[in-house]
Amino acid sequence: MKAFQEDLSKFESLNAQVLGISPDDVETHKRFSKELGLQFPLIADTDQKIRKLYKPGRVTFVIDQNGVIRFIQEGMPRNKALLEEIKKLEKKPQ
Amino acid sequence: MKILFVSVAFIISLLFPWEAFGLDAGDKAPLFEGVSTQGVIRLSDYLGKKVVVLAFYFKDFTSG
Repeated sequence: MKAFQEDLSKFESLNAQVLGISPDDVETHKRFSKELGLQFPLIADTDQKIRKLYKPGRVTFVIDQNGVIRFIQEGMPRNKALLEEIKKLEKKPQ
Repeated sequence: MKILFVSVAFIISLLFPWEAFGLDAGDKAPLFEGVSTQGVIRLSDYLGKKVVVLAFYFKDFTSG
């Protein structure tokens, strides 16, 4: 999540909203955000309801403005590749 | 041979249901709503406005 914060302005300049999500509760998320200085929201998926809708594991989804999944990145997030994928979306007509 | 293939595919789908039926690029993202550090977040709030980078991770206070 720290890496997302470091590149947050790059995501924002591409009109992308970063959302972190884990089973931790909101209080834990708040402490974590404070410690790392995270400025984007962390969702408390305490019952893992949202994860069950998506995919198990460490995985990052890029969802376009039409609500379509455009890119799935498994494993630790790699911002460079994520930003490249978001840039590609910009060039395609919505 | 065909029966063997179907059986193997069926067993894989039982072991790794997300591989068989999971989401792929091009699929509609399931709508969700959740409490966050910045209030309630709904995917629908971003539609038509922003690209969403939804990053699942295991636990706070761990790397990544």
